[in-house]
Amino acid sequence: MAQGALEGVKVLDLTHHVAGPYCTKLLADFGADVVKVERPGGDPARRIPPFYHDETGPDNSLLFLYLNTSKQGVTLNLKTPRGLKMLKELVRDSDVLVENFAPTVMPSLGLDYPTLEEINPSLVVVSISNFGQNGPYRDYKANDIVEYALGGLMYIFGSYDREPLKHALHQAQFKAGTNAASATLMAMYHQRLTGEGQHVDVSIQESIASGLRDVVNNYTNTGAVRRRQPNHSGDLTRIRQTSDGYILPNPGIGAGLNWNGVVDFLEAPELDDDKFSTPSARLANAEELGDILDRIFRTKKKFDMFFAAHEKRFIYGVIQSPEEVLADEQFRHRGYFVEIDHPVTGLITYPGAPFLMEGTPWNAIRPAPTLGQHNSSVFQERLGCAGEDLARMRAMEVI
Amino acid sequence: MSQPLEAPLRGVRIIEMGQLIAIPWAMKMLADMGAQVIRMESCERLESYRGDSVYLNDVSGEFWNRGANFYEQNRNKLGITLDLNNAEGLSILRQLVSISDVFAENFTPRVIKNFKLEYADLRKIRPDIIMVSSTGFGYTGPWSGFGATGPSTEGASGMAYMTGYADGPPAMPEIPYTDYTAGEHTVYAVMAALMHRLRTGQGQFVDISQTQTASATIPEALMDFTVNGRIQPRMGNQHPTISPHGCYPCQGDDLWIAIAAKDDDQWRALCRILGREEWANDQRFSHQLARWTNRLELDGLLAGETGKWQAHELMKQLQGDGVSAGAVLDSKDLLFDPHLKERGFYEVVSHNSITDIPPLPYASRPWKLPGSPAVPGQAAPLMGEHNKLVLGELLCRSDAEMADLERQGIIGYAPVDPRPVQRPSLDEQVRQGRMQRYETDFQQQVSEAFPPPVKAR
Repeated sequence: MAQGALEGVKVLDLTHHVAGPYCTKLLADFGADVVKVERPGGDPARRIPPFYHDETGPDNSLLFLYLNTSKQGVTLNLKTPRGLKMLKELVRDSDVLVENFAPTVMPSLGLDYPTLEEINPSLVVVSISNFGQNGPYRDYKANDIVEYALGGLMYIFGSYDREPLKHALHQAQFKAGTNAASATLMAMYHQRLTGEGQHVDVSIQESIASGLRDVVNNYTNTGAVRRRQPNHSGDLTRIRQTSDGYILPNPGIGAGLNWNGVVDFLEAPELDDDKFSTPSARLANAEELGDILDRIFRTKKKFDMFFAAHEKRFIYGVIQSPEEVLADEQFRHRGYFVEIDHPVTGLITYPGAPFLMEGTPWNAIRPAPTLGQHNSSVFQERLGCAGEDLARMRAMEVI
Repeated sequence: MSQPLEAPLRGVRIIEMGQLIAIPWAMKMLADMGAQVIRMESCERLESYRGDSVYLNDVSGEFWNRGANFYEQNRNKLGITLDLNNAEGLSILRQLVSISDVFAENFTPRVIKNFKLEYADLRKIRPDIIMVSSTGFGYTGPWSGFGATGPSTEGASGMAYMTGYADGPPAMPEIPYTDYTAGEHTVYAVMAALMHRLRTGQGQFVDISQTQTASATIPEALMDFTVNGRIQPRMGNQHPTISPHGCYPCQGDDLWIAIAAKDDDQWRALCRILGREEWANDQRFSHQLARWTNRLELDGLLAGETGKWQAHELMKQLQGDGVSAGAVLDSKDLLFDPHLKERGFYEVVSHNSITDIPPLPYASRPWKLPGSPAVPGQAAPLMGEHNKLVLGELLCRSDAEMADLERQGIIGYAPVDPRPVQRPSLDEQVRQGRMQRYETDFQQQVSEAFPPPVKAR
């Protein structure tokens, strides 16, 4: 079996919910040794729907199961002196500690960065938080929708005459988790070269605000403030309805596009007009063009159009439902979906590798841990606790 | 003795054959953190971001050195031009690969195969090279030949299908969102490959499907189907268990606040601040399940109250009482946001004087590494700006050889066929609804809030 890219990187994972666990999942699935430390009540993500067969239970949240593959799981009550002491012992031989508590929590537990640094100067501490570790919004409460609002993405998302919108599910958290995984490895790269640790600060708001093409730039370059556009203006690559779903035609905004080719492909002689033949003209006559395109696409079938367009090297997109994603020949060819066995759910199908590394493949080496599943093995191997110690700690609610 | 802190990726050299966002954004992040990124472009086939969205909408003269999106995606890189259709151009690229750690590209596999730039080709030149290909649907498989833009991958991934108003079609934001999702995963992939190379000395091929990276971020929707056979309907801004959870109007034109009262405490505080304490005990809203069941009615009532408030003021009041809320920032609010300002999130970058662009603030990075910080921001390269540095200094081409390369059109300093996109006037864009408004004194406002960087010694 080939090794993972991050073989030998030891991660202490104090994260919960989505952003932190996605960071440590990326590390774990690519070979890092991740020990997830949960409070005795468990990661609250264990209670996020949807659930396996709609039955609630600590191992039935599909999101939790996905986010915690390849990790070992232990429980520790960090509010007890013994629990805290055990955590500090784990810090001693870890490379990385990742946490996504509110910024005041780690210091209040007695785990501020200077304390951790004193225990292990090589430790990379990664803190993921809503707004970062300082600044006037530091202690603001937030979840995904508030991050969309304050990250600048919401204002340009949705219909012209309706309230701004956000993506479904937990996009802000996933973005921050990915960025945190990258930042972790940047700091680890530095650590491997110099032996130095540091405290990395990752902000969810900034994760959104650092990926907004032509938003702030529009103001700094022209003084204009963007907004949600009417369906028929400007950018022509917009979702259009077909007879059986939705498609994303790209009628072309780039300067190199051959408009006659577009007219032929759409079999739409009414588009053979100077009003539409250049990118600048298409922008000026966007409303009329949009109406014509809507009419044309309503008569078409989405996959027919999609494949026909790509034969001509027109860049079209197709809107796929989860069912269509699962049936998609491309995903199948790539082996994207994988089956993972879990003691509670049995074998179920998960999204797999986000990207392929030929030399060091993605590998979910184990399912998400049940609560405290690896208490015995981790505490015995890493801390030398005997079986009777563990029983006592369980009785004292330390683990 | 205090040594200056150094960026973590100093000493890593990356050759970038990128376009638009997916690879350029990722390589910018690595360049910021100290990698030497040499970005290669073509004079024959002008990078789209050099020809659109130019400073002051002025497409006269050398507009290709004034593209706002180009500057945004390509900070801290060295820029060269090379014609790969010419054998000598290709051989220069291969020579660059031979002295580099990473080769990153986001063209279709067809292009890469035609130029014989596949991993199997490159490892013959540089056995430990890391090659990163970022494509819409993956380097292999029946869709591998299909070109893609961000919206295509957002559509194919399942993300767009799940998103949208409860009674409406699928929706996506007005940016190529999943290009960034792919770019974020690409930064991570390069770092993982570099970590492996540091430990073992081995390079490898990294194959990024932009669609797969997007699907990786909607697992619960995909697994709800694989496990329960269910596809949840689109639900706008609603949350599966929390109410109120939405976007509500405030005073002014197109101004809004997002509110997510996660529990009974936050709900009671919200009622108190809005002056509607009676709602807290109303049986329709008195506990979480009741609020969720009656969420449409509740959203309507809340909208009636929030409309009396200024968005930032209401956010301050609500947050002061522990209620999760945020003003919906437009692009100007985002630029001038006091929190991001105090965090130093925007970095002021100076531009080459021939562009007549003043120093401007750009979004930096979502992370801070105080022990190994980012390098100071240098503007994206002019076309061919570093031909001499890279080909002359790094590859030891003489002045005469450089002149010869230029004469043959293998390198150059301007597009062969410059065709900019002329955007309509700002008045017309406002009329079309593309822009909310524009301000004529923006240059003064920007330079006052973001003064030019003090020249480092």
